[in-house]
Amino acid sequence: MTLTRRNLLKIGAAASALPLLGSRAFAQGEPLKVGFIYVGTINDNGYNYAHNQGRLYLEEQLGDAVETTYVENVPEGPDCERVLRELAQQGNKLIFATSFGFGDSVIKVAQQFPDVKFEHATGYMKADNVGLYNARFYEGRAVCGTIAGHLSKTGKAGYIGSFPIPEVVMGINSFVLAARKVNPDFTIKPVYISTWNDPPKEADAARAMIDQGIDIIAQHTDGPAALQVVEERGAVGGFGQGADMSAFAPDAQLTSIIDHWGPHYVNSAKAVIDGTWVPGDTWEGLKEDVVQIGPYGPKVTEEVKAAAEAVRTGQIDGSFHIFTGPIKDNTGTERVPAGQTMTDAELLSMDWYVEGVEQPA
Amino acid sequence: MPFRLEKRPEPSRTMLYLTPAAAVLLTMIVGAIIFSAIGYNGLGAVREIFFTPLTNSYKWQDLGVKAAPLIIIGVGLSIAYRANVWNIGAEGQYIVGGLAGTWVALATYSMSGPWILPLMILAGVVGGMLYAAIPAFLKTRLNVNEILTSLMLTYASVQLIYYLIRAPWKDPMGMGFPQTRLFAESARLPTIIPGTIVHLGVPIAIIVALVAWFIMSRSVFGYQMRVVGTAPHAARYGGFSENKTIWLALLVSGGLAGLAGVLEVAGPFQRMVPGFPANYGFTAIIVAFLGRLNPLGVIFAGIVLAITFVGGEVAQTTIGLPNAATGIFQSMMLFFLLAGDLLVRYRIRRTAVQPSRSAA
Repeated sequence: MTLTRRNLLKIGAAASALPLLGSRAFAQGEPLKVGFIYVGTINDNGYNYAHNQGRLYLEEQLGDAVETTYVENVPEGPDCERVLRELAQQGNKLIFATSFGFGDSVIKVAQQFPDVKFEHATGYMKADNVGLYNARFYEGRAVCGTIAGHLSKTGKAGYIGSFPIPEVVMGINSFVLAARKVNPDFTIKPVYISTWNDPPKEADAARAMIDQGIDIIAQHTDGPAALQVVEERGAVGGFGQGADMSAFAPDAQLTSIIDHWGPHYVNSAKAVIDGTWVPGDTWEGLKEDVVQIGPYGPKVTEEVKAAAEAVRTGQIDGSFHIFTGPIKDNTGTERVPAGQTMTDAELLSMDWYVEGVEQPA
Repeated sequence: MPFRLEKRPEPSRTMLYLTPAAAVLLTMIVGAIIFSAIGYNGLGAVREIFFTPLTNSYKWQDLGVKAAPLIIIGVGLSIAYRANVWNIGAEGQYIVGGLAGTWVALATYSMSGPWILPLMILAGVVGGMLYAAIPAFLKTRLNVNEILTSLMLTYASVQLIYYLIRAPWKDPMGMGFPQTRLFAESARLPTIIPGTIVHLGVPIAIIVALVAWFIMSRSVFGYQMRVVGTAPHAARYGGFSENKTIWLALLVSGGLAGLAGVLEVAGPFQRMVPGFPANYGFTAIIVAFLGRLNPLGVIFAGIVLAITFVGGEVAQTTIGLPNAATGIFQSMMLFFLLAGDLLVRYRIRRTAVQPSRSAA
């Protein structure tokens, strides 16, 4: 985004003239200002990179109708509140908060700026001007798990997670359910590192896992650090998360889950411009093209590719759902009876691990 | 080496007080040049980072809230550093203070009353003190370097947060997210200016600095700290115990860091989250030095650092400066300050070329 100095003065004037509002200063016909806050940097080549690609897609699609701004490396705490207020005061009428931990701050700031629309990714708290959006990452995980089940020699995978929230738990479960359909003895060891982005920590966890005989590593953190370790140590492989990370691990990346937020951003911005925006609660996946599977890596054989594609297309046409029973938890209790599929509400509050998941410390 | 540093017999007092201002000024000039050279609007960067937070009245509340913990911790550190006790672990003491306050808030969750907040604050101060007592004990008993112990304890305290919020203190309503529940009304720090986010911690910070200034300049305790720091031999002759000074310095700086921690968790956070360690304890080291280890100076230094944080975000949204720029500006400030200090205390002398060429 580029702001000219004149615009800047105008914003400054508007801001000082209209305490706590700053909205009426914008005449009609001016572009809709859209703000984004990212928990990491746009150069993480993963989650935040993907959100920023979505922002660029929005600019490309709507051209002069929108003007976007982003703030990166926003901590999940009171600092986030300040950044949100900053964006609202600068006249952004639609603000995307792209990380789970921004929730408290979004709700607080949204109350102060009733005329600004907020959308919180992967969250669970709605309000009159706060909508939610999320992607069915677990569908991508099912594809990755299928590949892992075929290719792992030790039958043990590692999973580097941030926090044990349903979003992450669901991904781990989906991965191992898919892998066990191929190899019934497949197990997975989750490790939580309490941050979305800390490359040295991610790499350390990956090294420790490989030392323990794990040969496939998946991660629910934001960057390619773990994948680089897999490449370096010559383990079987890993997966790109958020974006295609093959540049960092050309040999080790088996495939990647690509977040394609662009179309959602375009729809929301259009709705605000048309005045039809309502606080939504969208959860789209492979079918809607919000989740994509990247190119398969060189180690994925034709046979494995076919199996992965079957899972991918099955989820698109609705013939396959990874959370269809029978599903047992990791203590052996049956949680989902045969033939039944978990509801979205059940998935979004998932706090138990399926069979094959080593209970994390 | 053709140059050597020679200690000035009497560093100029005026220059000592001018170096912080010069460091800030040099940071702006060099910052503008560097960012222009790599293709950003360098002047704009300096304007947005250093001036917008001051000229835009919305930003004042942010400055106050951001500066308060920096000032409280910075005051404690300036007292310790005066006594040559190098407490680098204020971040850890801040965290333990926050945790101690959280413990009280959770234990009194179903209760209400005006006594809860003072009890939390007391717990926070005591928590910070206890955590600083570990390096004090190790230093005075076993002569272990306090720089190492206090720093390493910081990492331990971060793990303590993760443990507590994952298991015993986990929010029952948090969807599995590792955080405590939102504190009850009685455990939240009140805002003092309606319609803003300015909480009680802001005036407390100013009061802490004023009291500390008074004690350091007017009391025997302050005198002891200063004498032990500047002239340890004289202090020993004067009957001041070195061990007692180490204990006092660490307890005071740890207690104040703990105070900052509890105010932060009861004010802006209102619950314990994994993002609680916000590096205030480390940034406060810059604040203490920029403030000339003088509690009044620390107030100004705290505000200057707060300006760079708040301004750094403004610069991101208005001229697209990357987030790392804030860190670069802050580091430059400390660099120029330390370099300036060196030149004020020492002079550079050209040494005669040594005739010893025989070693060839």
